[in-house]
Amino acid sequence: MQLRINPLLAKEFHQRMRTARAPIVITSYVFGMSVLTFFLLYENVQGQLYLVQPTKSQQVFVLLSLLQMTVVAFLAPAFAAGSVSGERERKTLAVLLTTPVSPIGILLGKVLSSSALLVLLVVVTLPVYSLVFLFGGAVPQEVVSVLAFQLVTIVVIATICVLFSTIALRSTWSTVFSYGTVGLMMVVFGALGYGLKGLYEQNPIDLFTLSWSHFFYALNPLYVEAALEGAVSAKPTIWVTFVEFYAVVIVILLVPSLWRLRPQWFSWLPFWSRSTEKQYQ
Amino acid sequence: MILTQNLCKRYGKMAAVQDMNLSIAPGTVFGLVGENGAGKTTALSMLATLSTPTSGRAYIHGFEVTREPRAVRRCIGYMPDAFGVYDDLTVMEYLRFFADCYRVDRRLVKPRADDLLERVRLTDKRDTYVNALSRGMQQRLEIARCLMHDPAVLILDEPSSGLDPKSRLEMRAVLHGLRDMGKTVLISTHILNELAEVADEVGILRRGELVAVAAVQVMVQHSSAYRTIHIDGRFAAGELERALASDRRVVDVHAAASGWDVLYAGTLAQQADLLTALVEQGMAITQFSEQPTDIEQLFLRLSAIQEGM
Repeated sequence: MQLRINPLLAKEFHQRMRTARAPIVITSYVFGMSVLTFFLLYENVQGQLYLVQPTKSQQVFVLLSLLQMTVVAFLAPAFAAGSVSGERERKTLAVLLTTPVSPIGILLGKVLSSSALLVLLVVVTLPVYSLVFLFGGAVPQEVVSVLAFQLVTIVVIATICVLFSTIALRSTWSTVFSYGTVGLMMVVFGALGYGLKGLYEQNPIDLFTLSWSHFFYALNPLYVEAALEGAVSAKPTIWVTFVEFYAVVIVILLVPSLWRLRPQWFSWLPFWSRSTEKQYQ
Repeated sequence: MILTQNLCKRYGKMAAVQDMNLSIAPGTVFGLVGENGAGKTTALSMLATLSTPTSGRAYIHGFEVTREPRAVRRCIGYMPDAFGVYDDLTVMEYLRFFADCYRVDRRLVKPRADDLLERVRLTDKRDTYVNALSRGMQQRLEIARCLMHDPAVLILDEPSSGLDPKSRLEMRAVLHGLRDMGKTVLISTHILNELAEVADEVGILRRGELVAVAAVQVMVQHSSAYRTIHIDGRFAAGELERALASDRRVVDVHAAASGWDVLYAGTLAQQADLLTALVEQGMAITQFSEQPTDIEQLFLRLSAIQEGM
């Protein structure tokens, strides 16, 4: 039996990695992160490299990881938002749907291929994080959990963007929805958590406000990552709320996405009518 | 191999395909002809499992398209009317990608791709990027793509559309090759003459209805036996019809944009006799010329005459 990877993943990875653009992006990113890390570390020890200050090194680690999270979160839609709508616009989707690759396989291939380069970006920055180790401040478990959370966030954002690109039909709209969602996750949820926490601090008996503040914080990838690094106080299981919430969002978006790709799958629904069935290829 | 029973597709109140009954034997090249909007693409997309019939059944290779779509997909190669290609792949990579989609044994991919590229005359383009190919080459590549998993049935929606005359000839040669491969092929086109050399059977689709099915040979025989004569002059329609009624070889008379088109089952000499007879009857004829016979129109008219009888 031959081991096969998703054909779309293989094709798109091949397409993306064959041009000079991918190595240039990766090299520039690693170079930028390295320079920034070196600058921050150098600044922390005031030019005297024998001065080891683990607390400051921890701050560098937090800063770097949050920066990386922001970069990959805003890069993800660039790779994923046009994935399925692009197929539709190029008129390659109909042919793809007549192959034995299922709509789930198509979506999975698109999510994996959109995430692949970003995952690579995260992985290649591991040596940069090792510089932080050199000065202490971050323990390996923290680094592993932060990287794992970054990978999860990449996949979550890429999945949401791919689903939007399936639902929205046009790449323009799916890009708008995708960046809107990333903005919501990275900025709005954090601001809501912060605002509600401020309200709670004015009225400390209002636990309802506090619980909503925690909830919105848990939906903000930057806050969750900071919590995993111990930079902010939060429940150790805050990432579970994050994963659960976005899993529900993905399942909700999956239904209309599948409808767009294979409306026939919903023929069991009572309101489904063959005469109103549309083709979205 | 391809069987449809009262196949219908409605979009609201509009019937795109209605009661299509079709039976295409294995190894047959069947041409589905109809003008734009006749329902060809809708019919083909139902057979390709892209849309669901409103009613009726369709079987491909024994599999019912709505109940066993996965099995149907494995045994068809579908080329849509408007198709796109993945620009950043070479011809070989393009074929390999689709072979992967169909889980073709990796050991078979290269020899099969080489063979197909030879058949579609693209061997020298195997390492060329797909976006560097001409439209005609891309359409031939699509045929090769359809064949990568060695399907029993090919469904080709307007494979020659948008091609220049040279590319049309090349495409015709490729379609000939499919026939030699023993594939069951369903081709749609709006030009019947295009299929004359390629297809075994032809079905004419009009406003969603399959109005006629016949062997291409029968059609070609009809077209060589019948002539269309365009007659114009200073007389009324009834007058011309009365004058022509005496000639048994006149099959049909119908009004054209200016004058009348007469379907005539006679030789060139008999045609000259007809002109003489008309002049002798005092008809003021200003135009009497043979027009190229459109096989599709001819067939439809003969069918209509037959139904009238």
